[in-house]
Amino acid sequence: MGIYSLSLKNLRRRKLRSILTMLGVVIGVTALVVLVGLTTGMTSYMKESTGKMMGDVIIMNSSGGGTIMASPGSSFLETEAVDKIKNMSQLYNIKEDVEFFTEFNGTQIYIVGTSDWSQIKINGTKGVVVSKTLEDSGYKIGSKITIKDQEMMVTGTFSEGSMGMGVVILDADKALPMNNNKPSTVTANTRGDPEVVKDQIESTINGTTASTKSDLSKQIDDMMSGLTLFIGGIASIALLVGVISIINIMLVNVTERTREIGVLKAIGFTNREVLGSILLEAALIGFLGAVVGLIIAAILLELAIIFFGQQIGDIQLVAMLPLWLVVSVIGGATMLSVLAGLYPAWRASRLNVVEALRNE
Amino acid sequence: MNNSDSKINFSTALSENKVLEFKDVWKIYQMGDEKINALAGVNLSIKKGSFISIMGPSGSGKSTLLHVAGILDMPTKGTFLMKGKNTSTLSGREQARFRRKEIGFVFQRFNLFPQLSALENVLLPMIEPDPEKAKGYLDKMGLTGKYAKLPSQLSGGEQQRVSIARALVNNPSLILADEPTGELDSKNAEIIMGILKELNDKEGVTIIIVTHNPLAAEFTDKIIEMRDGNIL
Repeated sequence: MGIYSLSLKNLRRRKLRSILTMLGVVIGVTALVVLVGLTTGMTSYMKESTGKMMGDVIIMNSSGGGTIMASPGSSFLETEAVDKIKNMSQLYNIKEDVEFFTEFNGTQIYIVGTSDWSQIKINGTKGVVVSKTLEDSGYKIGSKITIKDQEMMVTGTFSEGSMGMGVVILDADKALPMNNNKPSTVTANTRGDPEVVKDQIESTINGTTASTKSDLSKQIDDMMSGLTLFIGGIASIALLVGVISIINIMLVNVTERTREIGVLKAIGFTNREVLGSILLEAALIGFLGAVVGLIIAAILLELAIIFFGQQIGDIQLVAMLPLWLVVSVIGGATMLSVLAGLYPAWRASRLNVVEALRNE
Repeated sequence: MNNSDSKINFSTALSENKVLEFKDVWKIYQMGDEKINALAGVNLSIKKGSFISIMGPSGSGKSTLLHVAGILDMPTKGTFLMKGKNTSTLSGREQARFRRKEIGFVFQRFNLFPQLSALENVLLPMIEPDPEKAKGYLDKMGLTGKYAKLPSQLSGGEQQRVSIARALVNNPSLILADEPTGELDSKNAEIIMGILKELNDKEGVTIIIVTHNPLAAEFTDKIIEMRDGNIL
């Protein structure tokens, strides 16, 4: 029975107050973890799928910005450039993919010409595969669909990753002529170091940007880390408000317990021990709040996966809640709470014993 | 040099038998423009094994004297020695250690921690926590079987006995009690004073109480009367 177990008892003594104080931390941590978890999950999903999809290099029109995220469906390689790529001896297994928008029954739909069907979960068979949105508007397997004046028969459907858009996936060979044989990207394997070949492509073929797998992974990281920071910053405000309420409540606690603090000092506890016990109390609020917030966030993320997983893709909870996030959120919330407790604890430790004992 | 050395030795020898020694101790408070002498040059020695009550009207300085004796307050002027040690020279941390080891406090309002059981209250200040030893002190106070009770579940007399057990738990050289019977009826007041008397008689614990109650003071060996910050 030391002074530090008194901290825990003090939290239990004013249960409602402790829980309400913790609630601020819980809400902040939940918001932070859900938002950061979602972007983290997206990042790892994107990296995983680009890693699987492409060869050693991916070549794009440099006017589109040259990154994987740059205006999909609006920037294309010129036929001349494609011919030059095909003539490069360093490249083999060259594949052209195309993605473009087109007018369809008065709306815009997205046409994807792919050379790699293995990335798509098809319900039916490959060939002409439509998204759920189109399926719902009557284009079921076996029905006819007309795109760019070409009538074809729907062979399959897919629901994952379309984000509610009207999408038709075709063989690249079939889709390319619809876009004047201009591909969005060319992927290829390289003979020799991909980094060297990449530089050769960019220097010999005007208007192209080539990226290796590691470039792409870095591009995704760059883009998502900015987003994560922004979203995390906003959610941190909620956590900060929660932590500030700890300062307030601890000041109330300390004032209310003035006489008890006087007694603690009278019976021989040092200022440092009094300070420590109040910091511990603040730390416990932060730690317990963070743990509860994490549990709620994990449940919410799992629910998001269950309800929206079909649209956003195959993301696992572990990808959204990596260890670094769990550790830094618990550690961060606890540390911020200790900081919040610092001023009230310092005030308590500085109380004049005689005056504190006289306090009613 | 020699002369002053021998002086120190002499005073150390003298204080061996003295638990407390006040040498011209002043405590002056500034209240606005007015200066209040809570203690006005107190000279007092208290021998080991004494049982003393300090009486006097409100504002006579008896509580201040007790606070200085308990190292809760420092003299403005003069020297206060405890077991031959000048407490003003101790750091805050050393003062706290000294209080914990050498002094047991008993308060008028018991000042038990409401969230702790009787046993936990006694264990709280214990330097080497030992539940069996703590229970032993509660037994001695006639509180066998009430270890787990919270202060709110105990009578005033019982609460004060828990606080005496708490004061004794580190075998202090000195028990300081500020109005220990102030919140109790006469029957319980008598029980508490009886316990303190027995501790003094049988175990030789030095006890100083501040009280308004002449009946409580009758239990002690010596009554010190105070007026206007000094001893009569």
